[in-house]
Amino acid sequence: MSKRIAIDDTILVAGMPATAGSKMLENFTPLFTAEAVERLTANGYAVAEKTAVGEFGLDLVGESTTGKLLGDAAEKVAAGTVDAALAVDLNGSPRRAAALSDVTFVKPTYGTVSRYGVISCAASGEQIGVYAKTADSCAEVLAKIAGHDAKDGTSLRNDSYDYDTALDVQGTKVAIAKDLYDRADAETKAKIDKFAEALRAKGVTVEEVAFDFADIANTAWQILMCAETCNNLSRYDGVKFGYRTPNYSNIDELYVNTRTEAFNFLTKSVIIYGSEALSKGRYTECYDKSLRIRRVIVERMKAIFASYDAILAPACKSTSYQAYDCKEAFMKVFAESVFTAPASITGMPAVVSGGVQLMGNYFDESMLLSLAKVTEGV
Amino acid sequence: MTREKLQGLESLNELAFTEEEASVMLSVFEEMADRESILASVDTEATEIMVHVMPMTNVLREDKRVQNFAREDLLNCGAERSEDSWIVPRLVK
Repeated sequence: MSKRIAIDDTILVAGMPATAGSKMLENFTPLFTAEAVERLTANGYAVAEKTAVGEFGLDLVGESTTGKLLGDAAEKVAAGTVDAALAVDLNGSPRRAAALSDVTFVKPTYGTVSRYGVISCAASGEQIGVYAKTADSCAEVLAKIAGHDAKDGTSLRNDSYDYDTALDVQGTKVAIAKDLYDRADAETKAKIDKFAEALRAKGVTVEEVAFDFADIANTAWQILMCAETCNNLSRYDGVKFGYRTPNYSNIDELYVNTRTEAFNFLTKSVIIYGSEALSKGRYTECYDKSLRIRRVIVERMKAIFASYDAILAPACKSTSYQAYDCKEAFMKVFAESVFTAPASITGMPAVVSGGVQLMGNYFDESMLLSLAKVTEGV
Repeated sequence: MTREKLQGLESLNELAFTEEEASVMLSVFEEMADRESILASVDTEATEIMVHVMPMTNVLREDKRVQNFAREDLLNCGAERSEDSWIVPRLVK
């Protein structure tokens, strides 16, 4: 019997509506299927359903079918409705959702999975990842969707995409990102402590390291993410596809009213903030500066990985979210993204398991998944 | 950020905020200005920009005319269409 996979609504499946959680695409049915989904179906997996996301994946964890702030795909994997799910990690939303629902999520190294067929926002950081109940299941699905795709200019040409979840972790070293740990609430800290203890029991050295560049990484990533999203969402104009306002008498009103009515306030805020970051007079100090800081963060992360095999950190501040007004969303997402931005801006892999996040150096997914596996059920 | 500058950004991005939304957006800019100040603490004078973290390749195809999708299917994606075109309001007055 085929394994049942859910696909988040920012990933295209021909013939199945793809809304990206937006009124802008409420009646949009794509004409082609994302490469990652094609690879799964070619390997005997069946697309069970599309799962809801927050508008373009920009919010905390996305909409939920039950009204709870958990994340639709993560909830369905946790409930066993599907065997696994694919989701686009744009700004950490799936990692937060996995932590809240206590399922495993792997965001692989940038360029590992083709983004052909993804409704793109922040092309330089977004990456398709896999939700499943266990590290083994994540690895199994990731191995099927990883690999070079000539249709995607950011797709890497690595020789091998096998993932081993049984690496010997004894003697490895894991760094707890102290500055991120300190920001978490007591329950999340307890999850990190428990995870660290489980690793120590397997012979892993776990110790705290300073992580004083988290705010810098987050601010720079939010600037880059908003700027790229501003450009990518300029294609939605009410003409070629998607929503069109009924309230217009000329072309200018068609554009403005379509976009104003169809995007939610968070998306509009992201567009406006990103547009300002790209504007004359701000470009150098804001956007250009953030591109340089990206290189600094990569070097700082690599410096940690010269001594450690992985970084252990929260994926989010607390173990649940309360409903909030959309007008507060921009700053709420900004605050929570401090935990996820380091892996987003660097394109480094991250695995969420047991409610906590492991970040690794490029192509170290096997080590992250092996570390996650030895803590399962503890 | 001022209301006037914000209106310029709205116009540039084909968006229109209500006065209440504009007020919220102005406070977002104010809060972000505080946070952006941390970027100045990083010396990037000798650091190259990093647009992509991994090498990229141009996606090219043979210089041949191809029709990946049926015209009819593409026309149906639009909100309003005629026989062979998407309908938009008159552009030239």
